[in-house]
Amino acid sequence: MTDLLLFNATNGLIIGAFYALMAIGLSLILNLSNVINFAHGGFLVIGAYLSYTLTPYLGFWGALIVAPFLTAAIGLIVERLLIRRVYGRDPLYSLLLTFGLAFIIEDGTRQIWGALGKPTSIPAFLSKPLSYQFFFITGYRLFMVAIVVLAIALLFVLLRYTRAGIRVRAGTLDLETVAALGINIRTLRSLNFAIGIFLAGLAGALASGQLGLEPTMGDGLLMPSFIAIIVGGVGSLTGTLLGGLMIGVATGLTAVVFPSASDAIMYVIMAVVLLVRPRGLLGEEGMLT
Amino acid sequence: MKNPVLSLTTDRRTVLKGAAAAGALQIASPFVVPVWAADNLKIGICNPLTGTYAAPGKNEQTGCQLAADQINAKGGILGRKIELLIEDSTSGDAGTAVQKTRKLIDRDHVNFLVGNVNSALAQAMAQVSNEKGVLHIVPGGHTDPITGTDCKWNVFRVCNTTRMEANSICPLLFKTYGKKWHFITPDYAFGHTLYQGCEANLKKLGGTVTGNELTPLGITDFSAYLIKARAANPDVLVVLVQGNDMVNCLKQISQFGIDKQIHVAGTQQELESVEAMPPEARVGVWMFEWYWKQAAGTAGLDQFIADIRKRSGGKVPTARTWFGYVTIHAYALACAKAKSIEAKAVAKALSDMELPPEVKLQPNKVYFRGGDHQLMLSAFIGQLNTKGDGDPENLFKVNSIVAGESIAPSIAETGCKMQMPA
Repeated sequence: MTDLLLFNATNGLIIGAFYALMAIGLSLILNLSNVINFAHGGFLVIGAYLSYTLTPYLGFWGALIVAPFLTAAIGLIVERLLIRRVYGRDPLYSLLLTFGLAFIIEDGTRQIWGALGKPTSIPAFLSKPLSYQFFFITGYRLFMVAIVVLAIALLFVLLRYTRAGIRVRAGTLDLETVAALGINIRTLRSLNFAIGIFLAGLAGALASGQLGLEPTMGDGLLMPSFIAIIVGGVGSLTGTLLGGLMIGVATGLTAVVFPSASDAIMYVIMAVVLLVRPRGLLGEEGMLT
Repeated sequence: MKNPVLSLTTDRRTVLKGAAAAGALQIASPFVVPVWAADNLKIGICNPLTGTYAAPGKNEQTGCQLAADQINAKGGILGRKIELLIEDSTSGDAGTAVQKTRKLIDRDHVNFLVGNVNSALAQAMAQVSNEKGVLHIVPGGHTDPITGTDCKWNVFRVCNTTRMEANSICPLLFKTYGKKWHFITPDYAFGHTLYQGCEANLKKLGGTVTGNELTPLGITDFSAYLIKARAANPDVLVVLVQGNDMVNCLKQISQFGIDKQIHVAGTQQELESVEAMPPEARVGVWMFEWYWKQAAGTAGLDQFIADIRKRSGGKVPTARTWFGYVTIHAYALACAKAKSIEAKAVAKALSDMELPPEVKLQPNKVYFRGGDHQLMLSAFIGQLNTKGDGDPENLFKVNSIVAGESIAPSIAETGCKMQMPA
């Protein structure tokens, strides 16, 4: 039993890291632009399908690098054409807009790539377990965690040490003042949105190695990401990271003792956090990092 | 004063509302595509076109359309052309399925209703069709009660019951792989009855269940369940999940190398799922409800495959395509036999009606059993091919084709008490 719990806790961390990658992209966009991006799961699917389509030409590694950038480019176009129009309005507008967008992306991918799932493979050396006992730690899962850690580390460096990053953080605190200082917040928001979507695209390219690739694959991943943000605290990227990991571990452990509640446990955690500490674990309204 | 354009109050409540709506995203549904004409015979199809079951839903529709075109080319049903009215039931929202069923019956006045892939939605639709007295065939929803405890005079089913599926393959799994079984079961109507069927078989054979992992529909990561399953050390890991869940589960099983330590098998497998898996995940012994590469010389089979390939960009028919094809042809045959389109007369004609070779497309006798309105169709038992054998879509090797009669429980066992209206 102890073994089983330990196994599942480790396994939960691996899954949690993946949730965190999704959630941080979502959180970035929410923090600066006040847009709750429902289409985030859709962008994940776009990233996954692009990597599938590019693999024959660029190989697994090439596709893994190029697909997130292409997804970010699509994100940028969507931001310019649609999302920009709802900035500063009641959040309901952005909810409705991105909700509709999620449907359009889902049906769009179905039109382009078909309703039937697509087979995706990963390089053989990654698709093996590392040891007989720890069979659930495969090369690919470790690789996923490594990429997530790398991406998040880069993001934190970007936000802390680059001019654009500092502006994003400042904008999260007080966009009005940032604008008054002569910084072009339109560009800032576009850049920030593109980075968020890049992370969704990366999550998609990684997920397609492990999950079945089909137009609804993002739906199941969107909910845990939202919960990670709420649990971690709106406005805090570190909180989001923590929230993602917590949810991963909690679902893993619940699957040992009460499997059919492994989905529900996320909501239980959310409810408890909201009752005890409504702003989330590390949430201070408007704070980033 | 705060500039509204720059206003930045993202509060927790907004995110909460967002999260609630994200939940709704998974069940909401978009559009409708009906076509109209005056004295055509209207057939309403209410099946998933979006969501998890969009692929099987569309394949069933392709089969329906082929059959309708063939019938129309020969003059239609009793001189009237068939017109298909298609609605998206969504993959899991019973409310939408019921609302669209009512719309098809009340507003479009369909003569005949078809649906649903999802067992729970099929049951909900059957309530409505029964209340309205409209003939209804369920092409591909498997849970037992539809032709068991909840059977209705106006409802027929083409695909197997879960019990038939379990009966068709359990004895073979027991004999070849061993007696300790661990299950991965989807946590809804279909999964529960399928598990019960397998468990009953296993008990009868003298085996034991080491555990049953109930997994939520649409779950992406099976690792926690697989860790438990391996720790229980069974002889066979029986995978009962379907659709994309099946793809995820088998993909992860093969990446964890579990198939090298424990036998992996299951009951129902579908070509839609197998095609979405990478070659290394195509493992185990399974049953297909219909398969395109089967007994040589089956009458009409080659023509059917060629016709479907023409309509689906070169893809071969799957069991789902065949379900749709059988559904429309069976209705047309029954109308012709009854010389009427009146629901009770057609239901009577369908009872115990045997399907002709060009419709059944398989060796054994195939007929709708009168006592429970269940089609007695064969089970195709065999092994998955890692790579396409001779054809990229030949991903299953059929070892035996078992007659439906021999695997179906008796009518008394199904719990069906059929009552025809006066």
